Amino acid sequence: MRFDQTWFRYARRAGWALTEVNATVDPGATVVVLGRNGAGKSTLLQLAAGVLEPVRGAVLDRPPVVGWVPERFPADQPFTTEQYLTAMAALRGLRGSRSRSEIDQWVERLGLGEHRHLRLGALSKGTAQKVGLAQALLVPPGLLVLDEPWEGLDSAARTLVPQIVAEVTRAGGAVLISDHRGEIASLPGAIRWSVQNGTVVTGVPAPEPAPEDVILELAVARAEADQVMARLSAEGHRILRVREERA
Amino acid sequence: MTIALARMRLVALVRGGRILAPLIAGLVVLGIIHGGGQSPAASAYGYSAAMLFPVFAWLTKVVLDAEPDVQRRLARVAVGAARESAAGALAAVAAGLAFTVVAIAVPLVMGAIGPPKPGETSIVAGVGLGVLAHVLALGAGVALGSVACRAVTRTVRNGVVVLVTGSVLVVVLGLRGSIAPWSVPPVMAVSRALAEVPVPGAGAFLLIVGWAVVWCGAVLAGYVAVRRRRS
Repeated sequence: MRFDQTWFRYARRAGWALTEVNATVDPGATVVVLGRNGAGKSTLLQLAAGVLEPVRGAVLDRPPVVGWVPERFPADQPFTTEQYLTAMAALRGLRGSRSRSEIDQWVERLGLGEHRHLRLGALSKGTAQKVGLAQALLVPPGLLVLDEPWEGLDSAARTLVPQIVAEVTRAGGAVLISDHRGEIASLPGAIRWSVQNGTVVTGVPAPEPAPEDVILELAVARAEADQVMARLSAEGHRILRVREERA
Repeated sequence: MTIALARMRLVALVRGGRILAPLIAGLVVLGIIHGGGQSPAASAYGYSAAMLFPVFAWLTKVVLDAEPDVQRRLARVAVGAARESAAGALAAVAAGLAFTVVAIAVPLVMGAIGPPKPGETSIVAGVGLGVLAHVLALGAGVALGSVACRAVTRTVRNGVVVLVTGSVLVVVLGLRGSIAPWSVPPVMAVSRALAEVPVPGAGAFLLIVGWAVVWCGAVLAGYVAVRRRRS
């Protein structure tokens, strides 16, 4: 999938949100889009997913199956988790036993079992976010677009995101993921793009330790990992890697 | 997949209770029209179709606006832009046809249809013309309601302005002696035709149907074109 001279603005009188984007996402690649809040990351992701149409230029070679996980899941809908996922599966052409088995699989993996028959509006923010993740994965996507997927997820679910990303890319799908908290460290091999003032810079180098740096290895409680990372990033430290010690 | 999306939207509309307001408004309109004694089938239905036109337009706007914006975009990613906008119109047509059945049945059940006098159409022919008039009003209502939906007008105020202005113009420009009768759908024209005794011949109705098809087609094509850019 590639952006070809893509420009976007939200209204004719508004300024350009993105100017002259030229970038390519290859099959099997993981691209992390970095940048401050409001820099245009979400706009770039929505153009990639086909939610927004470019005002100038084009987005070309988008795979037929796209999964999009919005930053905030629209929970104000009169469906239970299961009813919603069944309806979204039908939109993808999944019916009957195939639909049920896909839904069962994702409900189990994402730990949605006890929320299966609850109304979407009654779910916590993190749980609703998981429903948003599930609907994007019912059919294996050729392009998975994740807008701040860690937002609101509990610590146990945090490690699921890298696992899912790895599965999609292994199957030949591309993943575009935005991140403003430095979670990228948990995505090995990811390509970095950065969005600043409407301009997209591709091939941003990963932070390298300088000769005068030392590398600390920390063990952090899973439940506190995201807070610790956010604090360390905010203090200007560079997080190089996150890994799980498996027993 | 278009049908699956239309069904999902109708289910949400009924479960969420948003269908209630236009439904009640439509029933009130029917009660007022048919509550005042008996009239011939053709003219009763012609009047009913014209009065229900703004209700059909409002119903369409409610159908298209029921779902949160982000959910509409999720549906667009799942089925594509063209199918997503088609599914909205399809859901509105289905809801409108269901209400048309009610609108045809209510005067029959209430006993508001009188026996035909000499020179008037039979009740059966009157019901047939009534169905035609309601379907034409529904088509025009779906077209107007579509361009008044939030995805097109972006703000609540603009949406209401389009809906109300459109409805008023259809009535005003549809009056006898209008300066530009062709600029609006034949909602008033069909109502007038059904009130005539005897009703005009098939040629006049073919002309009206053709006029309605061209008008609705043009407006809906505009809707689809705008929705390509506005998700």
